[in-house]
Amino acid sequence: MDGSTLRAAVRRVIGEMSPLGQRQADSGDRLIEDLGYDSLAMIELSLRMEQEFSLQAAQPEETLGIKTVKDLEDFVEQNAGTPADAG
Amino acid sequence: MTAVTTGPGLVLDVTETAAETAAEKRGRLATSADLYGRWERQQWAVAEVDPSRDAPRWQQLSRFARTQMLGSLAELEVGEVTVTHTLGSLIDNPPTEDDRIYLCTQLADEARHVKFFQAYLTDGCGISLADAEGTELEGSADYARVFAPELIAVTGALRDHPGDMDSWYRALVYYHLITEGVLASAALRTTRFLARRLNLEALDEGLTNVARDESRHVSFGLRAAQEGVAGGFAAVVEDSHFEAIAPAAWVLIGPARHNPAPAIHPALLSRAAQLRGAIEIARERLVKQLRLVGLAHLHDRAGRAWDEGIEVALDAYAERWGTPHPIRAAELAGGGGHHSTEGEHD
Repeated sequence: MDGSTLRAAVRRVIGEMSPLGQRQADSGDRLIEDLGYDSLAMIELSLRMEQEFSLQAAQPEETLGIKTVKDLEDFVEQNAGTPADAG
Repeated sequence: MTAVTTGPGLVLDVTETAAETAAEKRGRLATSADLYGRWERQQWAVAEVDPSRDAPRWQQLSRFARTQMLGSLAELEVGEVTVTHTLGSLIDNPPTEDDRIYLCTQLADEARHVKFFQAYLTDGCGISLADAEGTELEGSADYARVFAPELIAVTGALRDHPGDMDSWYRALVYYHLITEGVLASAALRTTRFLARRLNLEALDEGLTNVARDESRHVSFGLRAAQEGVAGGFAAVVEDSHFEAIAPAAWVLIGPARHNPAPAIHPALLSRAAQLRGAIEIARERLVKQLRLVGLAHLHDRAGRAWDEGIEVALDAYAERWGTPHPIRAAELAGGGGHHSTEGEHD
């Protein structure tokens, strides 16, 4: 999966799991303020991302600053293994 | 803790954990006669809750949310089945006739709770308790494997020695104060929070009804234990608490149940805070109950015993799964996962 396809897949998952209801997520959207993610939804999103993109446990400094969709796209691009069922 | 003040005696809301109010400190806990009157006024029916109305919403839940809720519901259902089976010996040997009449009302409550959780699992979640999935779900409940045998043993000892009041007070502590006052209280509060967050309306309504019943049950246990402590049974009430603390802490951690630690750090911290929240609620309930029954001097010792029990269970989790529990994972990653009751006060 190339970078732009991977990023699109990340946006798709984030949009699908938005607590505000399924919607299109854009790179500039903020997870909490724009897409309604609360703590439970963040946990669910993290677990789904790990499954879909074969993510490994991250160092805190890699993920503490994640606030926007783009932040997550960057993180997944850097940490994705062989996708399980993405795309 | 919110006190329900209708009637002549106090009944403390089992899902609240705040320190005692001034009214509670000087107030009298409800007597068995008071509790009987409340029971008549606080009736409800499983059929009116109608668990099937949650079925469409249940099918929309994520796998994580469904797994979490099923685990919680299984613990509650197994707990209710066990207490229904074991209350009889307490009914047969109470200190007073009023206590016996009250305990008979409690037995009816426990039967209704079993029916509610079984109906919810069947009609709301689509789980057949008779098939392999249901059997596995019930069998995986830590309460069934760890605490239920203890409760069965102490109520069995009472059945074998009817009239032995030491045995009666020991069974009371395991039943009313630890199973209901600590474990069920924490489970009801956190499960109801999740039910509201996930828009499971029938579950929220049913759990609210169950919590109201449990408030009467725990109030009975507190008042009976208070009278026991004042009447020469302080030693057995104290000993029973310290016997039961470690298995209770084990049940709340649930080393046999896999608990994924999210890779993304903010999610890991949220998960750890969520889990630690339930543990801290249970700890607060434990030490508060000791104060209310007249054993305030055990406050610090009980807190330490609880904390040690939690650490032992976290060690067991790491050994079982080869990876740290989310609470430990958050600590290792530099975040304590301190109790955060986001949205729990709604």
